[in-house]
Amino acid sequence: MKWLILGPEIYFLAMAVVFLILSLARHNARRDFAAALFLAGLGVAVTLTTVCMEGSFFSGAYRVDLYSQVFKGLLSLGFFLVVCLCSNLKGIEEESHSEFYLFLTTCTLGMMLLVSSIELLTLYVALELSSYSLYALVPLRSGSGQQMEAAIKYFLSGIATSALMLFGLASLFGATQTTYIAELTLKLPGLLHTPMAFIGLLLTLCGFFFKLALFPFHVWAPSVYQGAANQVTAFLATATKVTAMAMLARLVSMSHGNTSLAHVLIALAIISMTYGNLVALVQKDLKRLLAYSAIAHAGYALIGILSMNPTGYAAAVFYAMAYLAMTFICFLVVVKVASDGRNVAIVQLAGLHRRSPLLAMALLVGVFSLGGIPPTIGFTGKFLVFNAAMERDYFLLVLIAMINVVVSLYYYIQVVKAAFLLESEEELPAIKLSASVAILIVVIIVVIIVGGIFPRYLFQLATSAIRGLL
Amino acid sequence: MSVEFSGFPFLSAILLSCVAGLLVILFIPREREALVKWVSLAFSAIALVLSIYVYCTYDRTHGGLQFVEKIQWIESLGIHYFNGADGFNLPLILLTGIVHFTGVLTMWELRGRVKEFFAFVFVLVLGVFGFFMSMDLFFLFVWFDVSLFPMYPLIAIWGTTRKEYGALKLFLHVLAGSALVLPGIVYLSVVSGLHTFDIVALMRPGAFTPGQQRFAFFLFYIGFGILAGVWPLHTWSPVGHVAAPTSVSMVHAGVLMKVGAFGILRVGIFVCPLGWEYWSPLMAILATIGIVYGIFVGLTQTDLKYVVAFSSVSHMGIVGLGLSTVTAEGLSGAVFQMFAHGVMTALLFSSLGYIYDKTHTKLIPDLGGMSRVMPMASSYFIVAALAGMGVPGFASFWAEVTVFISALKVYPVLGSLAIFALVLSALYMLRVVQRTFYGQRNERYAQLRDVPFSLGLPRMILIAVMVLFGLFPRLMLDLIQTGVIPFMGGLAR
Repeated sequence: MKWLILGPEIYFLAMAVVFLILSLARHNARRDFAAALFLAGLGVAVTLTTVCMEGSFFSGAYRVDLYSQVFKGLLSLGFFLVVCLCSNLKGIEEESHSEFYLFLTTCTLGMMLLVSSIELLTLYVALELSSYSLYALVPLRSGSGQQMEAAIKYFLSGIATSALMLFGLASLFGATQTTYIAELTLKLPGLLHTPMAFIGLLLTLCGFFFKLALFPFHVWAPSVYQGAANQVTAFLATATKVTAMAMLARLVSMSHGNTSLAHVLIALAIISMTYGNLVALVQKDLKRLLAYSAIAHAGYALIGILSMNPTGYAAAVFYAMAYLAMTFICFLVVVKVASDGRNVAIVQLAGLHRRSPLLAMALLVGVFSLGGIPPTIGFTGKFLVFNAAMERDYFLLVLIAMINVVVSLYYYIQVVKAAFLLESEEELPAIKLSASVAILIVVIIVVIIVGGIFPRYLFQLATSAIRGLL
Repeated sequence: MSVEFSGFPFLSAILLSCVAGLLVILFIPREREALVKWVSLAFSAIALVLSIYVYCTYDRTHGGLQFVEKIQWIESLGIHYFNGADGFNLPLILLTGIVHFTGVLTMWELRGRVKEFFAFVFVLVLGVFGFFMSMDLFFLFVWFDVSLFPMYPLIAIWGTTRKEYGALKLFLHVLAGSALVLPGIVYLSVVSGLHTFDIVALMRPGAFTPGQQRFAFFLFYIGFGILAGVWPLHTWSPVGHVAAPTSVSMVHAGVLMKVGAFGILRVGIFVCPLGWEYWSPLMAILATIGIVYGIFVGLTQTDLKYVVAFSSVSHMGIVGLGLSTVTAEGLSGAVFQMFAHGVMTALLFSSLGYIYDKTHTKLIPDLGGMSRVMPMASSYFIVAALAGMGVPGFASFWAEVTVFISALKVYPVLGSLAIFALVLSALYMLRVVQRTFYGQRNERYAQLRDVPFSLGLPRMILIAVMVLFGLFPRLMLDLIQTGVIPFMGGLAR
C-alpha cells in the first residue's frame, strides 16, 4: 500500500510508456491529442488524491510531503493546461506529435521526482531527466531553423550549468561528507564561512538559476522562448519555473539565514529584475518580451526566497502558484492568436479586442497580473514577497523592486495598447474559440482575480507546505 | 474568520452596487448600447442613494468611526477588510456618488465601445469608493491601484488631444507614486511590530518613533502627492485631463485627485502625525507654489481644457495648504475644499464637454460669443467659473475662506501670497469667460443646438449641490468637525 503514495510518479511513468507505444504506431494527431488530454486530466486527479499523504522512500533519498505534493499538483496542472493548448498543434510536424507528448510527460515526471528528492544525487538525476526532455522538445518545431539555434543554445548552456552544478555538489559533499539534505541542513550553517561549502552551495543553486533564467544564467531564455514551438514555450515558461522556485527554496533553506548568501542573492535579484525589465522595453516579439519579463520575475521570486524566513518561503510558493496562472494565460493568448503556430509580434495583436473580446480580456488580466496591479494574484504574490523582505529590513531592495514594477508597466501597457487600441491594417477574421477553451479562459481569469482578492486559503496552503522545509 | 458588522453594511453595499453594475454590463451584448447606459445609470443611482443615506444618517453627536465593517482577511499578516465612515471620508464618499452619477449622465451621447467604457468606469469608481472608506492599509493600497489602472484604457481609447501620450504619462506617473506608497505601507506594518495593517491600531501613539514617522510620511507625501497634483509632480495632470473624455476628466479631476490628497491625509497624517508636523513647512511651500503657478500658467493657455486643468492644480494647492497648517481649521477647510473642488471641476469639465462635442474645438480663439449660441451650456460654465473664483454663495467660498484664515495665522507670508494669487485667478477665469462666451460670435457655430434638458440635468445637479453647501456650509463643516476636532485633540503635542 505504501507505493500508492508514489501514485503520481508511477502514473506519469505509465503515461510516458503509453506515448512511447503510440509513437511506434501510425501517426494520428487527433488520437494523440485525445489521449493526451484524457490522460493529463486524469493525471491531475491522481496527483490531487495524494496531496495529503506523507512517506519516505529509497532509504531516505526521496520524501513525499505536503511541500512536494503541492508542487506535484501544480506540475500536473501545468501539464494539463499545456496539453489543453495542443488541440491545434501546427508548430510541430504531425509525425512527431506523440514524441512531443512523450517528452512533455517525461519532463513532468522528472520535475515531479525533483521536488521530492532530498538527496543530492537523486536530485541531480531527476533534474537531468527533465532537462534532457526539454533539450529534445525545443528543436521539435517545424520550419525556419530558428529552433535549431535555440536548441543548441539551450543545450550548450544547459550542460555547462550542469557541469557547474556537479562541481558544486562535489564541493558540498567534500565539505560536509553527506549528500542528504536533512544532514546538510544541520552541518551546513556552521560551515558556510568556508569557501568550499559556500561556493559549493552557490554552484548547486546555479543549476536552478538556469532553469529560472536568473541573471547571469538567462542568455538562453529569449532565443528559446522565441525559437521553440508556442506550446513548448508555454510549458517551459510555467512548469519549469515553478519547479525551479520550489528547488531554490529547498536548497536555500539549508543555509539557515546566512547573510553572505543573502547578499549574493540580493545582488542577483536586483540585476535580474533590472536587466529583464530594461531589455523587455524594446522587444517587438511577444514571446521574446515574455522571456525578458520571466527574467525579471525570476528576480521578484528570488526576493521571497532570499528573505529566508517562513513568510518568505510561503510567499515564494504563493508566487509560484500565481506565476503559473498568469504566465499560462498569456501563452494561451499567444497560441490562440497564432493559429498557424508562428510567432506573434506585438503589433499583430492589433484589433484583438474586435477579433475576440474574451482573448483581449484574458491578455489584459494576465498582463496586468504580471505587472502586479491589484486585485490580481500577481499583485498579492508581489505584496507577500515584499512583506517578507521588509521583515528582514531590506527596504532598499523592496524600493528597487517597486521601481522595477513601474518600469515593467511600460511594456505591459504596450501589449494592452496593441490589443485594445490599435486596429489592424487588413481586416482579420474573428478568432473562434471553442466552448471548452472559452470556459478554460474564464476559469483562469476568475482564479487570477479571486486569488488576488481572496488569497487566504492559497496562502494558508503555502504556509503549511513550507513547514516541511524548516 | 472573525466578522464584525455594526448594523447593515451600507458601505459594502456601495461597493457591491459597483461590482454588480460591472458584472451586469459585462453580460450585456455589446450592440445594446442604450441598455448599457440605462444599467449604468441605475447602478450609479443606487450608489448615489446609498452614499447620501450614509451621509445623512451618520450620527454627528457621537462622531468617530461609524458603519464599521471588519472581516479578518489574512490572519498571519494582520490584514482586515475594514471599512468605516467618519467626518473625513463621508464628504468624499458623497462626492464620488455625485460625480459618478452625473458622469454617467454626461456621457449619455457616447458612441462606440460603450460597453467597455462603462465597464472601466465602474472599475474606476469601485476603486475610488473603496479607497475612501477603507481603514486598512493593505486594502487602501489595493483600491488605490484599482482606481488607477482603468485610467489608461479610458483615456487612450476614448480620449482626444494626444491621448496615447497623455494616458501613458498619467499612468506611469501615478503608478510611480504607488511604487513609493507600497514600500511605505509594508514598512509601517513591519516596524510597528504589531503585525497589522489596521489604521486604527497603527494610530496608537508611540507605535512609531519620530524618525520612522518622518521617513514614512515623506514616502506617502510624494507617493500620493503625485496623484494629488502637488507641484512639481503635477505635470501629468494637465496633459491627462486634456486628453481624457469628458466624464473621465470629471471623475479624474473631481475625484481621483482627491484620492491622492486623501491618501496623504488618511495614511500620512493619521498614521505619522509627527512626520506631518515635521514636513508641514515643505508642504506649505509646495502648495503655495502650486497655487501661484497654476494660476499664472493658466493665464496663458489657449485651450479651454488646459485652463481648467491648471485651475485644478491651483485648487489642489489650496487643499495642500490647508493640510500643511497642522490646525483643526486648516484640516476642515482642506476636506471641505476637496469636496467643493470636486463638484466644481466636475461641472467645469462637464459643461466644457458639451461645447467640445458640438463644436469639436476647445481653443479659446476659435470660440467666442458662445453665450448667444448656447446660453444654457455657457451659463453652466460661467457658474462653475464663478465658483472657482470663490464667489460667496458657493461651497468653494467657505472652503477657501477656512483654509486661508488658518494659513494666514500659521504662514503669514505664504498665506498672503496665496490669497493674492487667488485674486488673480478671478482675472484668469473672467478672461476665459469673456473671450469664449461673449464678444464676437463665431458664425460657424451659430446653428448649433443648446443643451437639451436631459443633458443639462447632470450640470443642474452639480450646481444645486454647490449652492446647497454654499448656502448651508454647516451641513458639511459640522460633519467634518466631528472627525477633525477629536483627531487634533488626540495628537500628542
